[in-house]
Amino acid sequence: MTKRQKRFDFVDVTLRDAHQCLWGTRMTTEMMTPVLSEIDRAGYSVINILGGAVFDVCVRYLHENPWDRIALLCERLSTPCDALTRGQSLYTFELFPDDVVALNAQLLARLGIKVFTVYDALNDNRNLESSVKAGREAGMKINGWMTYTLSPVHTDAYYVERAKELLALGSDYLCIKDPTGLLTPERGATLFPAVVKASSGVPVQLHSHCQSALAPKVYEEAIKAGFQAGYTASEPLANGASLPATEEIGAIARRLGFQVSLDDEVLKTIAGYFRWLCIREGKPCGQVAKYDPALYEHQIPGGMISNLHYQLETMKLGHRLPEILEEIAQVRKDLGYPIVVSPFAQYLVTQATLNVVQGERYKTIPDEIRKYARGYYGKVAAPMAPEFLERLNLKSSELVTGRPGEHIEPWLPRLRKELGPGASDGDLLLAAFYDKDLLAPLERPKPEYRFKTSPLHELVAWMGQRRDIEHARIRFAGTEMTFSA
Amino acid sequence: MSERNLTYEDLVQIVELVKSTSQFSEFRLKVGDIEVSLKRANGEARPLPVPVQRSTEEKPVSRGKVSVSENLHAVKAPMVGTFYRAPAPGEPPFVEVGQEVEPDTIVCIIEVMKLMNSIEAGVRGVVKEIAVPNATAVEYGEALMGIEPR
Repeated sequence: MTKRQKRFDFVDVTLRDAHQCLWGTRMTTEMMTPVLSEIDRAGYSVINILGGAVFDVCVRYLHENPWDRIALLCERLSTPCDALTRGQSLYTFELFPDDVVALNAQLLARLGIKVFTVYDALNDNRNLESSVKAGREAGMKINGWMTYTLSPVHTDAYYVERAKELLALGSDYLCIKDPTGLLTPERGATLFPAVVKASSGVPVQLHSHCQSALAPKVYEEAIKAGFQAGYTASEPLANGASLPATEEIGAIARRLGFQVSLDDEVLKTIAGYFRWLCIREGKPCGQVAKYDPALYEHQIPGGMISNLHYQLETMKLGHRLPEILEEIAQVRKDLGYPIVVSPFAQYLVTQATLNVVQGERYKTIPDEIRKYARGYYGKVAAPMAPEFLERLNLKSSELVTGRPGEHIEPWLPRLRKELGPGASDGDLLLAAFYDKDLLAPLERPKPEYRFKTSPLHELVAWMGQRRDIEHARIRFAGTEMTFSA
Repeated sequence: MSERNLTYEDLVQIVELVKSTSQFSEFRLKVGDIEVSLKRANGEARPLPVPVQRSTEEKPVSRGKVSVSENLHAVKAPMVGTFYRAPAPGEPPFVEVGQEVEPDTIVCIIEVMKLMNSIEAGVRGVVKEIAVPNATAVEYGEALMGIEPR
């Protein structure tokens, strides 16, 4: 009898986080459908298809009804599909009442989502209670994420506490999410075993980005520590701001002696398709990032720095970027170390800009930051600086100490009245999230989706779209085709 | 190697070659067992699309800097941003001309980098002038309203 080989599983993020990081979330359903059957056969244990940005970009920019995409992908994929929400904020950064949060979970389950992933940008797990309860009741597996960051308070013990909270909530999986690629193998060597130990047998997963270029080493550390799965993307859409490549992490896991159920030939076809898609659509492929120690100081992801620089340029403040980056670190400390993710990353950037421009700290404090400091969004990780609190001048009546969702009245009765009895759950939820004029374009007729393609098919289609080509003949391996305009 | 399918690698190579030869009216490629030949209309390459001008280059319409009367307390913009008179679209403005305000009365919002900054009157008095139209871009330190102190 041989000892049963340990297994390491893979969760695909190509249809979600990969294009969110590299293409500004602009992958349409039409770009996904031709390669779905290959992704389904590649050996992934779960496929992540939804997150906050995907939902929002579908509505605002792609004019696709996100519920239709979810239903279609769940129907075509036999691998379990995963949907990620930001706890009580769902797909946005506002807090929603419990009835909206519950209806969202019920609808996702009905559309075919099997794994329901939840996280809170403050790691205040009270913000997950309502989602988890509804998701579990609707029959989905619960995947509880905790967000990694660097600060004196975000210690290994802090994450062990968060892991225990997620387990107490009833998570079926735990995951460490590292949105800015700040994890190092050295930190992993202490953090990962601590979280595995605290997980009492519940599978632990790693979701880390590649901004520091250390992610493959960090994944190796996680595999060694007993993590059960990792989130990865098809190679052309991996690396840089995205996650590591499935192919690369697969090879690492195998070399460590783990059984990996990936099909390399199928992965090659998927990678070929996405590399071609980058060229066809004029979008970037992921590039391996350069190691930059400055990332660990300000923690602002590269994409956000270029965006900030652009914003500052429009305000004729571009030359003050270095000062502002330095101020961000100070503001973050003063505010009790919020994690540098949306929406708090924007808060830090804006407050730092105000401080630098006004030449005085906290002379103006944006309303959202005031709300954050009141505890409106959840618990602040560390004590806030006296200098900041003095300027805020909060009254004790303004402080929110209970679960943030508790304070929001139900919305569904009002929405049902406004939309009438014929409104579907999807319509009710969209109306809860968006203004009417944003929703009108979603009524457009859907394109005819193609569910398979081949390089030859893509070549012919591409030639057909080139208006300069009058006559073309393609011949290979005994096939010949000619087309004329 | 005689019977095989075109791969994505082949496709990418062919497309890159076709794109890079767009100034020629004829294109012929033979690599291994793949052969591609093209003729372009009139030998004229389709003009490359002109890149869309980025919005930075668009000069905002300059709106001569206005100020409030000298005898009034000026409520100033804390930052470059957008001036809003009401808490949300469709809602009534925070204040109107003639209205009495306390120092901590919120008189407008300046949106800075997508965050909202509630601006207080700063003095007790009466709103006499509103110098900037709703939803316009304002400069750092620009006077937004004039308040007659009481």
